[in-house]
Amino acid sequence: MKILRFLSVTALLSALLSVSAFAAPKSIKVATDATWPPMEMVNSNKQIVGYDIDFLNAVAKEAGVTVEFKNTAWDGIFAGLDSGQYDAIISSVTITEERKAKYDFTDVYTSIGQILVVPKTDKTSKTIADLKGKKVGSQIGTTATMEIKKVDGVDSKTYDEIGLAFEDMAAGRISGVVCDEPVAAHFALQKQEYKEKFKIVGKPFTKEGYGIVVKKGNKELVDLLNKGIKSVKAKKLDAKIHTKWVK
Amino acid sequence: MQDNQPTNTPIEVGDGASIPLKSDTGLFTAWRIAFFGSIVLCLFLAFGRPDRYMAIFKFVPEGIVITFEVTVGAILLAIVFGLIAGLGRISANRLINGVASLYVEVIRGIPLLVQLFYIYYALGRFVKIPAIMSAIIAMAFCYGAYMAEIFRAGIQSIHKGQMEAALSLGMSRRQAMRQVILPQAFKTVLPPIGNEFIALLKDSSLVSILAVSDLLRRGREYASETFDYFETYTVIALIYLILTLFFSKLVSIMEERLNDGC
Repeated sequence: MKILRFLSVTALLSALLSVSAFAAPKSIKVATDATWPPMEMVNSNKQIVGYDIDFLNAVAKEAGVTVEFKNTAWDGIFAGLDSGQYDAIISSVTITEERKAKYDFTDVYTSIGQILVVPKTDKTSKTIADLKGKKVGSQIGTTATMEIKKVDGVDSKTYDEIGLAFEDMAAGRISGVVCDEPVAAHFALQKQEYKEKFKIVGKPFTKEGYGIVVKKGNKELVDLLNKGIKSVKAKKLDAKIHTKWVK
Repeated sequence: MQDNQPTNTPIEVGDGASIPLKSDTGLFTAWRIAFFGSIVLCLFLAFGRPDRYMAIFKFVPEGIVITFEVTVGAILLAIVFGLIAGLGRISANRLINGVASLYVEVIRGIPLLVQLFYIYYALGRFVKIPAIMSAIIAMAFCYGAYMAEIFRAGIQSIHKGQMEAALSLGMSRRQAMRQVILPQAFKTVLPPIGNEFIALLKDSSLVSILAVSDLLRRGREYASETFDYFETYTVIALIYLILTLFFSKLVSIMEERLNDGC
């Protein structure tokens, strides 16, 4: 009798579980380093917001999944994907050959370029090469760092967060900061205390495409996200999100 | 004057690696295994798997120099801060005592990581200090507070009669402190200072948040570009281990010499 009851309870439970597994939309865990305004940041209500967040939510809606964001420090963000703490990364990740060798990317969802920010007192520098013998800051492990290291004679300084690099430039410890153009615009043109101190010089000097990162071989998720990206672009939803965050 | 004195009172402070004495055979063997083991492992990785590891070993050495600079600079400055604050803590002058105690209490109550951010970024708004200097000052400021307690305990461990005897010989309090008490206290505080040095060597890895290119930051820079996280942090951990074990040995040798000397 007891065994029968036990069996029926387990049968009922497993039925319930399998039903809910089918009924609930698939949820994916996505890491983002929310220190990269306006692409991804934490707002005053402690929520993760930004271009990437709105974009991925739109993609997920099109693809019929839900997204759970995890705020993760940049220099461990790929390691976390390796160890399976989340399924994907959307964090202004430029698609590069080195990264493609280790991870899989979706199609490009937006294009940007690297740009140089210097103090307003610097009247002459236009490129990284003009800052030879000086210190130039960037966020650790970004394409900006790689661009700075390409120029001989420039002292590369890496920071955990891009905001710390700008703060260090405000304190006069470094002579320039390189980062993605929308981020530079946010810090140099919008942030009140930096507006008087910094200026963007020249034009973006790289052409880079952002992609969503997944573990190597996770074709199912790449296909799903690509389908969503296509649909978002077809409906021109990304243009709306762009105007909202990147003016 | 040195007879019948409990100068070897051990003071257990800090969280440094244990300093192995010859008498502690278990730990002594463990030290040998860990030290030579990690050296052998380093060599094995560098030459056995050069494709993955050689590049890491070539990338990080400047970081070791910076780590070393920060550690040595900070410990020297911390000893100065500690001695001043330690003497302040036993001072009869209520104002000096109060200031010294406040320093110890406040600093020990704030995490080192927060202090580093504070001295580097918050004070950076008012005074321009180079990155390494501000790292050294922040570390020394923090460790000075712990050092103060070591000095205080060390001085108080010297028998009261020593001071009384010195005073009765016609010495002033200051003379007695400098010529009688401190030399003896120094021997008592040396092992805990050695411990603090090793703890500081490990904690110096925290300065990597200040864009100071120390050993850990070099490793992080390497890993963030190659994505060889496992390999990089294995090497970084081994190098730190070799350094701390080497210095703990050095401290224990110094301590033995000092004990033989009296």
